[in-house]
Amino acid sequence: MAFLIDCPNCGNRDVYEFRFGGEVTARPAPDASDREWTRYFYLRRNVAGEQHEWWYHTFGCRKWFVAVRDTVTNQVHETAWPKETH
Amino acid sequence: MMLNSPREGRLEPHESQLIDRNRVVAFEYGGWPIKANGGDTIASALHAVGIRTLSRSFKYHRRRGLLCVAGRCANCMVTVDGVPNVRACLEPVRNGMKVRHQNAWPSLDDDLLSILDRFDRLLPVGFYYKMFHSPRLLWRLASPIIRRMAGLGSVNVDSASGSRYHHENLHADVAVVGAGPSGISAALAAAGAGARVVLIDDQPTLGGHLRFDTRTHGGLPDFPSMEGHALAVELERSVRSMEGIDILPNATAFGHYEGNLLGVLSESRMIKLRARRIVIATGSYELPLTFDRNDVPGVMLCTGIQRLIHLYGIKPGSSAVVATTNDQGYDVALDMLEAGVRIVAVADSRPSFPHRLAAAATLQSRGVLVLDSHVLTRAEGGKRVVGAVMARQANGKPTTEERQFDCDLIAVSGGFQAADSLLYQAGCEPAYDDALGETVPLKLPSDMFAAGEVTGIHDLAISMAQGRLAGLEAAAGLGHTAAGVNGEADGLRRELAAAEASYRSGVSIAPMLVEPGQGAKRFVCFCEDVTAKDIAYAVDEGFDDVQTLKRYTTATMGPCQGKMCLKHFVGISAQRAGKGIGEAGVTTARPPLQPVPLGALAGPSYMPIKRTSIDGRHRQLGAHMVDVGPWQRPYSYGPPQDECQAVRQRVGIIDVSTLGKLDVRGRDAPALLGKVYTHHFASLRQGRIRYGLLCADNGTILDDGTVTRLAEDHYFVTTSTAAVETIEEWFKWWLAGTGMCAHVTNVTSGLAAINVAGPRARETLGKLTGVDLSPDAFRYMRSAQGDVAGVPSILLRIGFVGETGWEVHFPAEYGEYLWDALMDAGEEFGISPFGTEAQRILRLEKKHIIPNHDTDMVSNPLNSDMDWVVRFDKEDFIGRGALAMAKERGLRNKLVGFVMRDGLVPDDGDPVVAGRAPVGRVHASSRLSPTLGKGFGFAWVPIELANEGEVIYIRVDGRTLPAQVTLEPVYDPEGVRLRE
Repeated sequence: MAFLIDCPNCGNRDVYEFRFGGEVTARPAPDASDREWTRYFYLRRNVAGEQHEWWYHTFGCRKWFVAVRDTVTNQVHETAWPKETH
Repeated sequence: MMLNSPREGRLEPHESQLIDRNRVVAFEYGGWPIKANGGDTIASALHAVGIRTLSRSFKYHRRRGLLCVAGRCANCMVTVDGVPNVRACLEPVRNGMKVRHQNAWPSLDDDLLSILDRFDRLLPVGFYYKMFHSPRLLWRLASPIIRRMAGLGSVNVDSASGSRYHHENLHADVAVVGAGPSGISAALAAAGAGARVVLIDDQPTLGGHLRFDTRTHGGLPDFPSMEGHALAVELERSVRSMEGIDILPNATAFGHYEGNLLGVLSESRMIKLRARRIVIATGSYELPLTFDRNDVPGVMLCTGIQRLIHLYGIKPGSSAVVATTNDQGYDVALDMLEAGVRIVAVADSRPSFPHRLAAAATLQSRGVLVLDSHVLTRAEGGKRVVGAVMARQANGKPTTEERQFDCDLIAVSGGFQAADSLLYQAGCEPAYDDALGETVPLKLPSDMFAAGEVTGIHDLAISMAQGRLAGLEAAAGLGHTAAGVNGEADGLRRELAAAEASYRSGVSIAPMLVEPGQGAKRFVCFCEDVTAKDIAYAVDEGFDDVQTLKRYTTATMGPCQGKMCLKHFVGISAQRAGKGIGEAGVTTARPPLQPVPLGALAGPSYMPIKRTSIDGRHRQLGAHMVDVGPWQRPYSYGPPQDECQAVRQRVGIIDVSTLGKLDVRGRDAPALLGKVYTHHFASLRQGRIRYGLLCADNGTILDDGTVTRLAEDHYFVTTSTAAVETIEEWFKWWLAGTGMCAHVTNVTSGLAAINVAGPRARETLGKLTGVDLSPDAFRYMRSAQGDVAGVPSILLRIGFVGETGWEVHFPAEYGEYLWDALMDAGEEFGISPFGTEAQRILRLEKKHIIPNHDTDMVSNPLNSDMDWVVRFDKEDFIGRGALAMAKERGLRNKLVGFVMRDGLVPDDGDPVVAGRAPVGRVHASSRLSPTLGKGFGFAWVPIELANEGEVIYIRVDGRTLPAQVTLEPVYDPEGVRLRE
């Protein structure tokens, strides 16, 4: 793993400055069914291709942002501050 | 037998030579003293004194000698000063160095395991899969023996080799890999256009193969007609005098990684080179030939012989046979002739004598026997070459028409293989070019360029033009388009197209046919001892795809990583499987392309050690320190049981500066804390403290701590020692994208903290502060801000250890000052410092859990007996959904306290049993209770056993012992003392 990530605050940095936060998922409403909660806890799409995911700039601004990364090539196509996600 | 003067056996001095005859270097080889010239490598020094066997092979323990002399093959690997697998042909000699052979016993000359060479019938490819399959025990017995018999050097596990290496980061506009004529041309062009260039080469001097080339080259733009080695010097001079080029000699680019990152190893430096554009000008390497006994010491590659002659001034042998499939053999024959070697015969596998070659004509005019349509069929000799047998070839196959020649050196050239690994690692597609007879790169990524012999074209003028064009294009892609650059690039493109077309029409390649052979071994993969017959049989067994064939035979998988054998390996497998070479494909190129010591990748170990601002006092007090995450904390200052007594009966102080501390502010701070903690925090009144438990969304326990409301929009949060970074991330994650107005700041290192606890704590602290500490004014779980010994502090009245006590948080600069003040104030009450061990025992008596110590990945607040902290009346909090589901389903097991009948303390993980069946386990925290004088701790038990007073059975050292379940703290269950 050696790719670069364009932190919205700090610019292009080595991936080792960041912590991976997993796929962006939508948290169910408090009264959602057990099935929905279970899916949210344990199931991931795990796509081979473009994925929206969380990254945290541990050795930088210490902020969370969302990146669009191709999981096959590790090319990061886009990074942005999170919109209302949870 | 050994000559032992560095000047004996050397040729007349020549400009191309690297050796310094005025400097003598003395080193040891297997206990023998060896003298060499300055500038020699271990291999050249050993060859010069007559040593021919340098190693024993991996599987059959056959003798191996110098082959490539370029650091490609694995034949010359030795152990130098305890470091295994050093390539003798690259390693410069140093005074006093100790060199040893590998993989031979008792000695390199008399290796008893060479008996394996006779039993090859019993050791076919994959014999260990076939023979040791069942019973399973057989492999357990066999594998340690096989591992000992096979293999290379042995690793010294005690050496801290990581500390020999350091890591560096480098950045470049254009990285050029390979400083031969094409690479230097590329570097000059790119730098000339204004780009910052890094030029990498794995040799100590630049110029690539020109360094050992004594032919005269004319007709090159920018350079007058001159000999190759002189041109190399000229090229090095021009690249060194050019602004904007960093040169890394002795540096191997071993891998290409994402984002155009090159891994470069240069002696003790592991360099991560990030380049915006990369020019691959790595050239090519010569390949051996496959014939019977083609590994006997004395069979050498033509370029290896040229290196010995021209770089080290060594006469490689006294009489030589040359076998070639291309023009290279003639040049080397001529070089050897001029170095005083008798050329017995030159065998060219091609059908007609290459009259156009000047070297060939010269050889004939000097009476050398040149045989066209002839191939080498076997080498004679055991310890070293004593002769060669060649056969006339008809229709691409050797006939029985054989001729034998006596010689002590066999020079072979089986064509060239592009050094193209980096290109394929970067995602470039390989394609076999039938006209060139080589695999060439297709479809380069847009930020990568190839120039020189790596493109399959072996012509100096073309290489230099390709390099220049690549350099210009790389720079232009970055916006460096100085005047005339585009015009020059267009011109070069046109010239190159014409020159390459003319070159292609002149290429004559020999059809490559390799027979598996009968009897004697013909090696394809020297590293792994895989013969042509092995590969043919493996194809017959059904492994007809190169990828699976590679894994099954392990050919191409040794230390040379297929450099010597990939082309022949693919050729033989294609031929046997009835495919074209292009159709057979190639194996996948992966980093590293050259072995890299693990120590270089690991680098020096930087383990941060954090010490609190009071650390010096702990050491003065003779504390026994322990690692807690990155922190060092006092474990104890004396017997921990005594420290427990001091806290229970008098007063104790403990440095708790390592607690994580977060400052949370903002309008929405109550909402944030209400969301992440299971408890209510919006309702917490100012000046009050509440215990807080953090869960993941699946309900498992993450961490705990205290939350103090200092003001309407201001909270002070503590976390476990090792967790603060994670919790800071966690809080910020649940803030991200919500639009909530709250700010989280990690203030851990800014504040020191001391806990003062015990019946005399109030009197001790009261001497130092004006804050009213009386029971009614400062109640349990309340906070205040005020001065302590003049230091502005936050005082939290909490009771982790179960006594009256305050946690004092204050600026870290006053750490030792306030510690001293408290020790002095408490002296009259018998104050004692206490460490983490006493703290653990004391809190265990109060049944206070330590998350991730007493709990694990499946612990939640319900099964950890902490339901009181989970507020289902809140609409939502992190973990609510999962905990609601868990509650509905009911618990299967529970974390409970237990007390033994006596002072015996079970170990972590001892099973709780019902009859003989394990039904639970003792968790991490068993200790001897000072209050009860009995062993006690936490255990996970089935829910039906989780009742007060229930007797459970624990297996301890083979004995089943009874213990009593307790759901209440064993000390002060009513919590009276900590509220006093």
